[in-house]
Amino acid sequence: MAARSLRVVSFLNQFFGQLGGEEKAGVGPQVLDGAVGAARAVQQALGDAGTVVATVVCGDNHAAEQADRAIPELVALVAAARPDLLVAGPAFLAGRYGVACGALCAAVQAELKIATVTGMHRENPGVELYRRRVYTVETGAEATRMLAEVNRLVALGLKLARGEAVGPPAAEGYFARGVTKNVVAGASAAERAVSMLLDKLAGRPFVSEVPRPAFPPVPAPRLVKTLEGATIALVTDGGLVPRGNPDAIEALNATRYGAYSIEGKSSLDAAQYDNPHRGYDTTWVKQDPHRLVPVDVARELEQSGAIGKLHETIYSTVGVATTLAHSARMGREIAEKLREAGVDAVILTST
Amino acid sequence: MRLELRWSVVDDLAPGPATRLAGRRLEVDVDGLRALLAADSRLTGVRLDLVHPGERCRIGRVFDVVAPRAKLDGGEDFPGVVGGVTRAGQGTTLALDGVAVVATDQQTDSVGTLAVIDMAGPNAELSAFGRTRNLVISAWPAPGTERSDYLAAVRLAALKTAVCLARTAREAAQPDRVEVFELPPSPRVPPELAHLPRVAYVFQIHSHQRPTGVDEGILYGDPVRRMLPTIVHPNEVLDGAVLRGFMGRSVTTWATQNHPMIKALYAQHGRTLWFAGVVVTVAQATEPERVRSAFLAAGLVAHTLGADGAVLTKIGGGAPHVDMAQAASQCEALGVRTTAVVEDMSTDGSAEGMLLFDLPGVDSLVNIGSSQEPLTLPAVDRVVGADDLAAKLLGETRATYGGLCGAIEQVGTTRVMAEVR
Repeated sequence: MAARSLRVVSFLNQFFGQLGGEEKAGVGPQVLDGAVGAARAVQQALGDAGTVVATVVCGDNHAAEQADRAIPELVALVAAARPDLLVAGPAFLAGRYGVACGALCAAVQAELKIATVTGMHRENPGVELYRRRVYTVETGAEATRMLAEVNRLVALGLKLARGEAVGPPAAEGYFARGVTKNVVAGASAAERAVSMLLDKLAGRPFVSEVPRPAFPPVPAPRLVKTLEGATIALVTDGGLVPRGNPDAIEALNATRYGAYSIEGKSSLDAAQYDNPHRGYDTTWVKQDPHRLVPVDVARELEQSGAIGKLHETIYSTVGVATTLAHSARMGREIAEKLREAGVDAVILTST
Repeated sequence: MRLELRWSVVDDLAPGPATRLAGRRLEVDVDGLRALLAADSRLTGVRLDLVHPGERCRIGRVFDVVAPRAKLDGGEDFPGVVGGVTRAGQGTTLALDGVAVVATDQQTDSVGTLAVIDMAGPNAELSAFGRTRNLVISAWPAPGTERSDYLAAVRLAALKTAVCLARTAREAAQPDRVEVFELPPSPRVPPELAHLPRVAYVFQIHSHQRPTGVDEGILYGDPVRRMLPTIVHPNEVLDGAVLRGFMGRSVTTWATQNHPMIKALYAQHGRTLWFAGVVVTVAQATEPERVRSAFLAAGLVAHTLGADGAVLTKIGGGAPHVDMAQAASQCEALGVRTTAVVEDMSTDGSAEGMLLFDLPGVDSLVNIGSSQEPLTLPAVDRVVGADDLAAKLLGETRATYGGLCGAIEQVGTTRVMAEVR
C-alpha cells in the first residue's frame, strides 16, 4: 500500500527563492504557491511521496537582523500551509541562511509539532547552533550537487514525517545530534575492545565508541586580595545536609542544592547533619562532617586572622550521576549568590 | 597453568526424585535441595522455582546469577567461600551449558531499583538469562539477620546449588565439549611468537563506594577491603576465585565465570597477541587511594607483565569509571596502549555526559550502553522471586536497561552499546 502523499513546505532565502541576490537580502517573510526556485528540487526528490504546497522565502539580512520578528512570522506562514514536513534549505555554507533554517526548523518543531529537516555544510554556524534540536543533513559548501543533496534531505524528512525509525548519523548523513541510544552491536564489548586495542597497537585507524568530552577548561581566577582580607566560603558536592534533608536533595542525579547557615557555629555537630549521597561510602563524613566541610578549621583560621572572614552560608549538593546541564546551572547560581554576598574565594570539597 | 572445562549441555530442567543428569535432561530433587539450603540458620524458608525460555514468566528481584560448576579434580569449589582456600584455575571442572542458578534478594522493595529477567519477549533476547533454564532461589532472612549476613547466606545458597547441579555431570559418559585454557608463565614466549604484542587485562573486581561485609568474599573469599592491585592467572578468574560483591550493578558472577574478556584474549592468544596476564584491582573511595592504585596497577602491567597493551573494565558507577580511566592513563604514561570498556554515564541521554573524564591517552573506548535508558517490560503470566510484587510486575512495567539482569554486563559479555545520534 502506498503511503499517503505528504504536504511539504520548502523554506528558502531570497537567492534560492529566485527573488534576487544580495540586493534583495532585506526582503521580509513571504509565501509563494507551490514549489518555486530550489523548492523544485525538493518536489523532484519527493516524487509521488509528497507535494510542495508552498515555498516560504525570507531575505538573509532580514532573517538575521530581525530574527525575533521574522521567525514567528515565518512560523505563521508555515502553519497556514498545514504541512506534514518542513524542508529548510539546503543552506550550504551560507551562514545567515543556515542560521535562519535552523531557527525556523527549531521553532516549527516546538510550536507546531511538525517534522522538519535542513541541510548545510559542516562549517555553517547553523550546524553548531541547531544540530542538537534539528536533523541537519551534511552538504557540500556550494550548490553544485543540489539535486543529490536535496534527495538526502528529503529521504530523511520523509522518515521523520512518517514517524519511521531514523538510523545513525553516518548512515543517514546528518550531523550527530548529541543524544545517545542503546543499540545492539554485532560483537560483544569484550571482542570489540580487544580488536580496538590491536588496531591501536598496530597503528591502524580505529574509532572510539565514545566521543571525547568537550569540557571547556576553567582556569582558576587569581585571588586579588591577601587571604587575611578575604572572605572564604565552603561549598561541597559531597552531600552534606541538615538532618531531615530540608531541601530534599536527591541521592543521585541531583537537580537541587541547599544553602545552610553556619552563623554562630564554631563547628558542625554530627547529630544535626546527614548525608544522602549514594555515590560513595558516607560512613566517615556522617561520623564527622568536618571531613567533608571543614568548618572547624576554617573558624580557627578566621579567629587567628589567617583568613579575613568565613562566609556564614555553606552550599551543598549531591554530585553523582548529575547531568552536565544541572551541574552547570547549579554552579552558576551558587557562584552568583557568592559574588553578591561579597565572597572572594571558595574552598570546594568534592568526593 | 592448565584448566579443562568439561561442558555438558542441558536442554531440559525438571523436578525429579534425585538430582541427576539424564542425557540432556537435568532432574532436580527440589525437596532435597531445599532442605540442604534451608539448613543455613541465617535463612528462614527457601523456595525454588524452575523457569524455562519461552515461558511468559518474569523473575523479580534478581540478586546474582551463578553458572553451575563443580571441580572434578585439582581444587575446591569456589575456594574461600564454598570450599577451602586453595588455588583455583587448574585441573578439571565440570560445567553445565544452558542452565543457570538465579538468586533473588527478598529485601529489595523498590520496584524502581530491582533487577528482573524476562523469559519471553524482546527482553529475553537482550539477556543471556532469558535463554537459559533457570533454577530460581528465593530465601528469606531469619529474624535478627543483618543485611550483609542475609546476602552472604543467599549467595552461598546459589553457589552450593551451582556445585550440586554441576556434580551431576560426573556420571555423564562423555562431555559435549571440552574447553582447555592453558597459559604459560608470562615471560616464556616462544621465539617465533615474540613479535606478537603482549596484552594484559586490568580487571576491576569491586568498588569501595560501599564497604564490603565480613562474609562478602570477592577474591578467594576475601572481602578485598585493603586490596592493592595484584596479578592473578586468568584461569583463576574462570574457575571461581573471583565472585561479584553484594551490591554490583550490571554485573553477575555468571559473567565472571564465563569471563568474556579473558575468553577473547585467550581466543587471540598466540595468533594476534600474547596474553600477558590479569591484574585485579578495586575501585577506591578516595583520591590518594585511587592514584596509588592506578600507578601500582600500571606498574604491574608495564614493568612486571611487560605488556604493550592493556584492556580495562570497571564495576559499579561513576567513581569506578574514573578509577579505571586513571589506571588506563597511568598505563599510557608508561607507554602501554589501552582500550577501556565504559558505560554511557549520561543520565539524560546527552552525548556530552557519556564520560566523566578526559585523561591523556585514554582515547579508545568501547561502550556497553546506557543502563539508564528506559525499557518496557511487557505483561507476563507468572512472576517468580517476588510474589508480593506480582501485582506490579505482572502487567506492563517501565524499567531501564540496568534493571534487566544480563542486558548489560560491565565485563563486556553483552552487545548493547550506546550510539551517538
